Amino acid sequence: MTRASLLFGGLLVLAVIPLFVQDSYTRHLFILAFIYAVIASNWDLSLGYAGLFNFGHLVFFATGVYTVAIAAKTLGISPWLAIPMSGVTAAIAGLIVSAPVARLKGIYVVLVTFAFGQLVLQLILSQSHLTGGAEGMVRIPYLQIGDYKFISDFKLGYYYVALGLLIVSTLYLLWVTNSTFGKSLLAVRDNEDYARARGIWITRQRVLVLTLSAIFPGVAGGFFAAYLRVASPEVLSFGTLSLALSMVLIGGAGTIIGPIIAAFLLIFATEAMAGIRGMEDARFLIVAIGMILVLRFAPGGLAQLVRAPRKKP
Amino acid sequence: MDTLISTLLSGVVLGALYALMASGLSLVWTTLGVFNFAHGALMTIGAFVAWTVSEAVGLGLPAGVVAGVASAALLGVVVEYLLIRPFYGRPNMLLITVMTTLAGMIILEKGAQMIWGARLKQLPRLIDGEVSIFGAVISAHEALIIVVAPLILLALWQFTTRTYLGRSLRAVGQNQDAAALLGINVSFTFALAFGLGAALAGLTGVLLGGIRFITPSLGAEPLVKAMIVVIFGGLGSLGATVGAAFVIGLAEAFLVLTLGLYWTPFALFLGLIAVLIFRPNGLFGRV
Repeated sequence: MTRASLLFGGLLVLAVIPLFVQDSYTRHLFILAFIYAVIASNWDLSLGYAGLFNFGHLVFFATGVYTVAIAAKTLGISPWLAIPMSGVTAAIAGLIVSAPVARLKGIYVVLVTFAFGQLVLQLILSQSHLTGGAEGMVRIPYLQIGDYKFISDFKLGYYYVALGLLIVSTLYLLWVTNSTFGKSLLAVRDNEDYARARGIWITRQRVLVLTLSAIFPGVAGGFFAAYLRVASPEVLSFGTLSLALSMVLIGGAGTIIGPIIAAFLLIFATEAMAGIRGMEDARFLIVAIGMILVLRFAPGGLAQLVRAPRKKP
Repeated sequence: MDTLISTLLSGVVLGALYALMASGLSLVWTTLGVFNFAHGALMTIGAFVAWTVSEAVGLGLPAGVVAGVASAALLGVVVEYLLIRPFYGRPNMLLITVMTTLAGMIILEKGAQMIWGARLKQLPRLIDGEVSIFGAVISAHEALIIVVAPLILLALWQFTTRTYLGRSLRAVGQNQDAAALLGINVSFTFALAFGLGAALAGLTGVLLGGIRFITPSLGAEPLVKAMIVVIFGGLGSLGATVGAAFVIGLAEAFLVLTLGLYWTPFALFLGLIAVLIFRPNGLFGRV
């Protein structure tokens, strides 16, 4: 039950933080951390639980970003409706990428999902009349209820929407991973042949896991677009990919809670380093070194260090 | 007719560059079973070092080329020692090394940006002048690439089939334990494969530096293209990789002609995913 109490305690702290933190910059960092925590923890579902190396995970996020950008700005749909829509479009993207991936093994999964990410990036760049191309889209409609803008009161509204999103996403992930389906994912990851012999249909599982891990990153992307009011192809860059990946690895793959904690640590650490002169470029370098060190000396990530070491790894 | 020939020629130039790049990736893959994401960044470093030695220090282009290739090779050995070697024998080494080399790529790319800055740099062409082939004109530098790349690949092929060292690379790739029993120094072979692959990356960087501007992200796009090549050809044999490189280079040149610059990468990736649905081990790959 330690994990549940840790979650509940953390939640309580996050819920009261706006009482003490009044400046909009710090709250902005919290909102970013909530968004990245959603991305990283959902990535953990496919990477940590299913052992499926989906290097196109940020496509789901990007799909959400551009769904809201196009639906809300170009088509004039309310962002409140467009954000849930982005969960649906991201799930469709997950279904599409699972088609080639379902039959592949090992390194080819990495290569194809990576190529899928590049494919979507090229699509965004080439369809500039729809997506704004390399410059992206600006002035995307923001969230408001009546006359109350969510950016007012130092981003108070956005803070709680993002926190709510993280809570719902985390409950969803805990539900999925504790279900029979979640346990069967572990079975396939740890012994594919045996799992297959026990009647687990691996192709169906891969399709499901990629679709299920796409929904919340998509919603987070949609929220991100309405919050920053910008959609740019930057979301599919190597930098964003490695930042999110390092959250999963440093936090500990296969733990859900680990990547969430690592998201907070890394967002605040990289932002703190950005404030130091000459560190703007070095911070990603330091994150990359941290990723290697964790893989080398603590393959289970931070979550492993916190938990009592088990006898057999 | 002229457009046809010039498209063909530009396709062959691209194919030659992709072949050099992808053969390095393929060499590392067949020997170690590691997919090196830092390959493109090694290429960037090669180009930057060549620029520093030949332009900033002023030692001339030949010295620059040698320094660029040598520094990439040396860095390749370092990458193998720091990012690959500690993970040998881990059950999921393949996927761990994907992540460590990805981290290596970020380190090299950001490192290059901190050392050389984001300002555009360019190497002089290896030879000046232009060459006319069947009425289509290309620069002598590009003509040189068309000539040099097959020669180097031929030398690589001879090396891996005829020499003891080259054969030991393939032996280790096929069965590490048996190779060790035959007295082959396996860890030396790993370092050799990585160094050679990186040297090929460095050479590609130097050649590309005469055509494009050198930036910290110079290697990113060629890396992606080399990935397409190795997926398309199937990771495994040098011949299939080189064949696939020229197929992709020519396909790209003709797609640019017919679909335009914007749609070409999209069409390439789409074709690639289609190939993998029906042939999961690549078009020329063996199951």
